[in-house]
Amino acid sequence: MWNSLLTPEFYNSILRATTPILFATLASGVAAKSGICNMALEGILLFSALFGVIFSSVTHSFLLGILLTMVVGGCIGLFMAFFILNMKTDEILAAIAINLIATGGTVLLLLAFSGDRGSSTSITNVSAPVLVIPFIQDIPFIGKILSGQNVLTYLALIMVVVMHLFIYKTPLGLKIRAVGENKNAAESVGISSRKIQYISLVLSGVLCSLGGYFLSGGYMNMFTKDMSAGKGFIALAASSMGGDTPIGGFLVSMLFGAAQAFANMMQLTTIPVELIQMIPYLTTLIGLAIFSYIVMKRKAKLSGK
Amino acid sequence: MKKAMVFALSLTMVLSMAGCGSKKETEAPATEAKTEAAKETEAVKETEAVTKAAVETEGATEKTTSEGTYKAAFLIPGTLGDKSFWDSGNDGLTKLRDELGADVFDFKVEQMGGNAADMANYEPTFLDYADSGEYDVIITGSWQCVDGIISAMEMYPDQKFILFDEEFDFEGNGNPETMYNIMFKQNEVSYLVGAEAAMMSESGIVSFLGGMDGKVINDFLVGYIQGAKDTNPDIKVAVSMVGDYEDSAKGKDLSLAMYNAGADCGFNVAGNAGLGLIEAAAETGKYAFGVDSDQAALLPEYAEFIPTSALKNVGDALYTSIKRDMAGELPYGTTEYLGFAENGVGLVEDAHYEEIVPEDVRTKVDELQEKITSGEIEVFSSSTMSTDEIEELKASVAVQ
Repeated sequence: MWNSLLTPEFYNSILRATTPILFATLASGVAAKSGICNMALEGILLFSALFGVIFSSVTHSFLLGILLTMVVGGCIGLFMAFFILNMKTDEILAAIAINLIATGGTVLLLLAFSGDRGSSTSITNVSAPVLVIPFIQDIPFIGKILSGQNVLTYLALIMVVVMHLFIYKTPLGLKIRAVGENKNAAESVGISSRKIQYISLVLSGVLCSLGGYFLSGGYMNMFTKDMSAGKGFIALAASSMGGDTPIGGFLVSMLFGAAQAFANMMQLTTIPVELIQMIPYLTTLIGLAIFSYIVMKRKAKLSGK
Repeated sequence: MKKAMVFALSLTMVLSMAGCGSKKETEAPATEAKTEAAKETEAVKETEAVTKAAVETEGATEKTTSEGTYKAAFLIPGTLGDKSFWDSGNDGLTKLRDELGADVFDFKVEQMGGNAADMANYEPTFLDYADSGEYDVIITGSWQCVDGIISAMEMYPDQKFILFDEEFDFEGNGNPETMYNIMFKQNEVSYLVGAEAAMMSESGIVSFLGGMDGKVINDFLVGYIQGAKDTNPDIKVAVSMVGDYEDSAKGKDLSLAMYNAGADCGFNVAGNAGLGLIEAAAETGKYAFGVDSDQAALLPEYAEFIPTSALKNVGDALYTSIKRDMAGELPYGTTEYLGFAENGVGLVEDAHYEEIVPEDVRTKVDELQEKITSGEIEVFSSSTMSTDEIEELKASVAVQ
């Protein structure tokens, strides 16, 4: 079992487990930066996992499939923004509605498209391809980790940098942060907070839909009922633990991914399974404790001066 | 304005729930998963039934609800179209109706939905059906329904019930004389899968992916381990539990970990999450045994990696139970365990199976099945084992 920790497969499984959570974490981060808690990630993941399968099978193309899925993700974000911003619905209520629609709605749509209720086995979908990087793949050990991952895994990692630059280095990113920090102050200098929040929620939906596509076309090669299995909520936790920043969110989702992959490996030992299944959550708790301790220290230092 | 929105929103939620259960109250033969040919014959049958019913209504209107018709209500905590449990039950009842005619035996399916939000409706649904008094028997299955059925039993002591695939505690719950409980000996069929996996394994390691560490899953597990161990005393069994029945991605990761650790035959007993094992098998070119329905037929893309599937014959069990009840021979107040001897469980043995599994293995499996049927081999069961004994058994074959 300990030898397994030294195999490239273990590190691959970390990256695989991290990818969907990372997309959703970034999605949660950008919404949070604009001052909205996007709790509908779970539902968006599930919807886009289903639509990824449907669109890629209809278009027979990965690119078209994922583009259309992103449109669906954006539309759900738009839908949510409309209710929250125009209709003044409570954001948590709106999110619960979307999550509930997702559990029932995906089954209904699945039934309509495939005649099945449990999984999309009768639909032939196009999964995101695996990318083999020449030269790098020849490096022993590391090559097997850095190369041969799913395209979407690479995209997720790239998106961390892109989102970081977007939020901290662009005018629009500045506006998003301004609205999130203080809506009235932002409005007073002529920023339309509604427009900015619309943009962040749509962006959030699009980012999250990439994670959903990966679930059914990359991680698995089919849609199965309720396959998001709480990943949206884990991402929500990861994002807030990482201070809603892309880099912080990335680190925490890697931690979650690693804890999950480690727990998966641990199941091969004779340690009781109940203990092992606690690992990811225990990691979260410990991580959270360390994190808030650091924040507290820093605050104490600042106020002390 | 805000109130109006809250209202609109709750309407959306209600609609969404209605959406997921939109097929509720379907009359029995409307199973989606039928081939075109089957559909046509079904349609013909339906028209026949309609004409028949029409003729009957012309003759005597009361006859359809008269005492001569044995009526059953099949309440399922899920939906039809699962290609497994509920479909199998529906097929069994449909077969009986086709055989006896709708004026002798008729049944109604109520799909209560399997989402967490639907669970609150189970109890009222049971009460409604028991209250109507129209049904000779109310049939349901699995653990989610037990609480609802107990309260219906207590309120309607004359209503008869059949509960399958969950052990019913007759002590102090309603009128025991109204409950007939069917359990499947999943450990017996699991024994065969274990034996077969051990024979087909070249690495000497087989794997097991379970949903949750619970009684039924452990019954599968102990049978599987025993079957594998009896066939090859040196066998190692890697065991992983997903923790739920939905997370197929996690199921795949767990299975990949087991296959990468050397296992080359696996058995999935984890609902939808178990599909992860099948994908992992296909990805690594190993074998995965199916469960609950003929998964090789359901997943043609992966069929070459699925030698066979372990089945619980819900349909056959209901078919025989109703027949026995009509003859007044159904032992209410008891739990019956259906194994190979009662045709309650079985392996899929078709052309596909013969193609993948070598003949000597198949003959050996048939011999083992006979030995189990005759009682020569006594298969371990989680219901008679303590947690420690199960852990001990697991440890004895653990991959170190």
